[in-house]
Amino acid sequence: MMTAPQAQPVLQPAAAPAVTPAPAPLLDIRGLTISYGNARGTLRAASDVSFAIRPGEVMGLVGESGSGKSTVAMAILDLLGGGGRVDSGEILFDGVDLRRLPAAERRALRGDRIAAVFQDPFTSLNPALTVGRQIAEPLIQHKGLSPRQAAVRVEELLAEVGIREPRRVAASYPHELSGGMQQRALIATALGCEPKLLILDEPTTALDVTVEARIIDLLAKLCDSHRLSALFVSHNLGIVNRICETVTVLYGGVVVETGRTGRVLSRPAHPYAKGLVAALPRITAERRHRLPSIPGTVAKLSGAVTACVFAPRCPFAEETCRSQPQPMRMDEAGDGVRCWKADALAGMPWPDEDAGAARPSRPQPQQSAPLVEVDHLRKVYGANRSVLPWLRRAGTVAVDDVSFTVGRGEVVGVVGESGSGKSTIGRALLALTEPSAGTVLFDGADLTERVRRGDQDLRRRAQLVFQNSAASLNPRKTIGAAMDRPLVLAGHGDAEERGKTIAGLLTRVGLPAAYADRYPHELSGGERQRVNIARALATNPDFVVCDEAVSALDVSVQANILNLLAELRDEMGLSYLFITHDIAVVSHIADRVLVVYGGTICEEGPIASVLRPPYHPYTEALLSAVPRLAEDGQEVPRILLEDAAAAPGGRGCAFAARCPRKLGAVCDEQAPPVHATADGHRIACHIPLATLAERASVFPELMGDDARH
Amino acid sequence: MFAYFLTRLASLALILVVMSVLIFLVTQAMPGDVASMIAGQFASKEVVDAIAVKLGLDQPLIVQYGRWAAGILQGDLGRSLVLEQPIGPILMEALARSLVLAVVALVVVAVVGIALGVLAAVRRGKLTDQMVSGISYLGIAVPDFFWAIVLVLIFGSYLKLLPTGGYTPISEGFLPWAAHLVLPVVTLVLMLLARIARLTRSSMIDVLQTNYVKFARAKGMPESVVILRHALKNALLPTITVLAIDFGLILGGVVVIETIFSYPGMGRLLLFAIQRHDLPLIQATILIVSAAYCLANLTADLLYAFVNPKIRHGMRAS
Repeated sequence: MMTAPQAQPVLQPAAAPAVTPAPAPLLDIRGLTISYGNARGTLRAASDVSFAIRPGEVMGLVGESGSGKSTVAMAILDLLGGGGRVDSGEILFDGVDLRRLPAAERRALRGDRIAAVFQDPFTSLNPALTVGRQIAEPLIQHKGLSPRQAAVRVEELLAEVGIREPRRVAASYPHELSGGMQQRALIATALGCEPKLLILDEPTTALDVTVEARIIDLLAKLCDSHRLSALFVSHNLGIVNRICETVTVLYGGVVVETGRTGRVLSRPAHPYAKGLVAALPRITAERRHRLPSIPGTVAKLSGAVTACVFAPRCPFAEETCRSQPQPMRMDEAGDGVRCWKADALAGMPWPDEDAGAARPSRPQPQQSAPLVEVDHLRKVYGANRSVLPWLRRAGTVAVDDVSFTVGRGEVVGVVGESGSGKSTIGRALLALTEPSAGTVLFDGADLTERVRRGDQDLRRRAQLVFQNSAASLNPRKTIGAAMDRPLVLAGHGDAEERGKTIAGLLTRVGLPAAYADRYPHELSGGERQRVNIARALATNPDFVVCDEAVSALDVSVQANILNLLAELRDEMGLSYLFITHDIAVVSHIADRVLVVYGGTICEEGPIASVLRPPYHPYTEALLSAVPRLAEDGQEVPRILLEDAAAAPGGRGCAFAARCPRKLGAVCDEQAPPVHATADGHRIACHIPLATLAERASVFPELMGDDARH
Repeated sequence: MFAYFLTRLASLALILVVMSVLIFLVTQAMPGDVASMIAGQFASKEVVDAIAVKLGLDQPLIVQYGRWAAGILQGDLGRSLVLEQPIGPILMEALARSLVLAVVALVVVAVVGIALGVLAAVRRGKLTDQMVSGISYLGIAVPDFFWAIVLVLIFGSYLKLLPTGGYTPISEGFLPWAAHLVLPVVTLVLMLLARIARLTRSSMIDVLQTNYVKFARAKGMPESVVILRHALKNALLPTITVLAIDFGLILGGVVVIETIFSYPGMGRLLLFAIQRHDLPLIQATILIVSAAYCLANLTADLLYAFVNPKIRHGMRAS
C-alpha cells in the first residue's frame, strides 16, 4: 500500500500504531488490473485493485455480479481461464510476487499453501471419483503421503469438519451426500495440507439457509483454530458480517471502500456501499415498506478509468465525479474510501425515493371466496407399479396433504428449503403437474378438470415467473416476439394492436418500449426478469406464481423487482404465490406466508404472526439462521440444525429427524396436530402452543411493531 | 446392479423374439419360392411339391415359425439350401472373422479417436485442434470405398507391402493373418474415427469447463491428472454409446469393405444368402446380427455404469 501507483496520488501511508507494529500482510495485492479479451475487444474486470490480508484475518470481498470479485480471487489462484489476463500489478503472498513465479511453482502452491472452496458443492466434486479419493489427492500430491496414509488423514479431516461417519463418507460418491456434506468435504479438502490462506468463493450461496448457517459456523471455527487467513468472496452482506473482520467493496472492478466490517456495514462511507446496505431486504413485519434500490445497471467497462465508476448510478454524483477518476483515501485505522465526497456524505442515508410519498393504499384482500383453494394436495413423483417386482417403486413424496387458500388480491409467500416441495405446489396450482391426490380449485372450478377440457382461459388467468431470467427467454427470439406469443394464444388478432400492448407492458415494467426489438442476451439479468414479468402480465392474469423470481438477482436489482411486483399487485389487484427460500424477501411482499418442510406446511399465518412467537421449531431455526447486519439488532443465538434431511412422506412429522426440540417417538409416529389461533396463524407441532409461545422472539426489534397491525 | 442386469437381459430376450418373428415374416414375403429354387428351373410341379412337403413349406406359417424357433433354441440354425450344409458352423466362422475385424478396428478407433479428441479439446482453437478437425472431416467426407480402393492401390498394387484382400486363419501364422487385416481395419478406422474424435472433443470441452475440473486445478493437481483422471472418465459417456453402435455395425457386416477386400465376414455371407435366395441362411444371419447389436448395446450400458457411479447407484436402487 505504501508504494502508491500513479492512479492513487492522494494515498496516505497508514500510520503504523506505535505500540504493536502491524504484522506483515500474508496476502498483499497491489494495483491488480485484469482484463478479459475476446474477438470483440477487451473488457476490464479489475482496475488497480489493492488490498491486504494479515495473518489470521478473514477479509470479505463483496460486490454484485460483474464487480470483479471472483476474477480477483481466481487471479490469486492463477485460474483465470477463458481469455482472462493479469495486465499489471503484484500479488504478494508471504512477500513473494506470485506473478513472477513459473506456472509449475504456482500450481504447487495451490491446494498446499493457498487452498480454495468454490460456490457450488454439487458440481465441485467429481461425480466419478469417491469423496475420500478426492480429498486425498492434494495430500498425496503436495505432502507425498502414500494412499494409505492419506486415507487415515482423510478420515481425520472429515471428522474435523463435523462429519459423523468419516469412513462411510470417504467411500461414498458425491451424489450420495447432501449439499451440506459435500461442502464439508470440500472444506476438508482445502484444509488437508494446512494452508495459510483460504480463498472462499461464495462457499454457501448454493446451500439452504439452515445449512449455510452451519457451514459459516464451521468456517469461522476453523479459521480461528488453524489461524487461517481467508479471502471470503460473497455478495451476501449478512454472511460477511458474521465471519469477516474486514471487508473490501468492489464495484465495476474498482475497490470503492475497505475497512473493518462493523464500520463499513453500519456506517458505509461510499455511496455504493450505502446503497448496497440499504437495498438489503431485512426481515420486516411492516409489509408495505418499499425497499430502497440502486437505479441503473453495472456498466461494462473497457479502457482506462476516467471517472468515478459508480457516478452513473450515484444519487450524490456531481460534475467532478464524472470527469475525474477517484483516488483511494485511507485513514489511520486502515479504512479507505474512493469518493471525494465521503466526508460530506458521512451519516447521510441512501435516498429512499418515495419514503413518505403517498403510495396508493392497497385494497385489502377481499373477504369473498378465495381465488385459489388447495385441498389435501398430494404429489408423488417416480412411483412405478410395474409387473416386474424389482421395478416397483413407491416414489418420492414431494407434497403431502397440503391445504391452503389464496384470496383475491392476496400475496401468499411459500418459504422452504430445496426439496421442501414449494415449487411443486406452485406447479400444481398452474396445472403444470397433475396432483396425485387432492384438488385445486381456481375461481371455484376444479383445475384438473378444466385442463382436461382444454380450458385456455385458465392459462390466460394464471401465469408464472421463473428464477432463471435468461433460461426463461428463447435466445433466438426478440423480446417483442417472446411477448407476442401469449397475446396471440390469448386471441389478440391484430398485430398492430399487439405491438402497442407490448410497448405498454414494457413501459409498465420500467423498460423502454424499444426493447421489443432486442434479444435477451442484450439485456441485464434484472431487465430480463422485467421482461418475464411483462410477459406474464400480457394476458392480463389474476394470479401469478413467482417461483424464486428474485433469487438470482443482485441485491440492488432484487429490490427493484420486488418493488415492481408490489406496485403491480397494488395497481392491478393481482394475487401472487410467491415461492422463495428467503424469508426476508417474502416478508417484504407477502400478506400471508406458508412455511413448508418436507412437503408439508409446518406453519402458516399472516407474516407478522409468523415472525413472532409462537414459532414452529423449524420456522424458529430458519429465522435464526437468516444472516443479518449488526445494526439490525443484537445477535440472536442461532439454532443449528443437522444437515441430514429425512425423506418426506413418513407417518410422523416431516421435520422430526432434524428437529432440535423433538419430543420423542410421538414425533416420528404421529402426524402433528395443528394449533390454530384467531388471526389464522396455524402451527403443526406436537409441542403445545403455550410451550411454543414461551420462546423468545428471534427478532426482538419486531416486538414493538404490534401497534401498526 | 444384478436386478438391473436381469431386467436388461429379459428385455433383450423379448426384443430377439420380436425380431425373429419379423425376420421370419419378411423373408417369407420375399419374392420367389424356395422349393422351385431348389428344384431348379425345369423341374416338374410334382418335384417342387415334394420338396415343399419335405421342407415343411406346405404347413401354415405359424407351424413353420414354431419349428424354426424351436430349432434355434436347441442350437440348430437350420440347413443352408444352397450350400447344403448346416448353417451353424458357416455362420460361426463368418461371425468369428467379423468379430476379429470389429474388435481390432474398434480398439484402434477408440484409442486413436479418444486420444485425438482429448488433444483437440485441450488445445482448443489452436493448430492441433484445427488439424484434428480437418483430418477427421476428410475421413468422414470421403466415402469408405474410396479409401479402400486408394489403400489397395498404394499398399497392395504399387508398394506390394500388403495383400489386397482375402483372409488367412491365424493358425497359418500371425503375420499373414495380421497382414490381411491391416487394410480393412485402416479403412474402417478412417470411416469411424472422425465421429469418435469429434464427439470426445466436444464432451471433453464441456467437462473441462465444469467446477470439479476447476476445483481439481485449485487443489494443485498437475494438468495431466486433471485431464486423465478428472475430465476424461466423465467425458467418455457419449463416446461409449457411439462405439457400441459402431461395434454392432461392423459385426453385422460392412458389405462394401468386406467385398472390396474379399473379407469373408458376416456382410458377405448375408449378401451371398440374399443373392442365392437361401432363406434359412438369410434368417439365421439376420437373427445373429440383431443379437450382436443388442449385446453391444447392453455392454455399453454396463460400461456406463462402470464409468458413472451415479448410474450404478440408480441401478442398485431399482
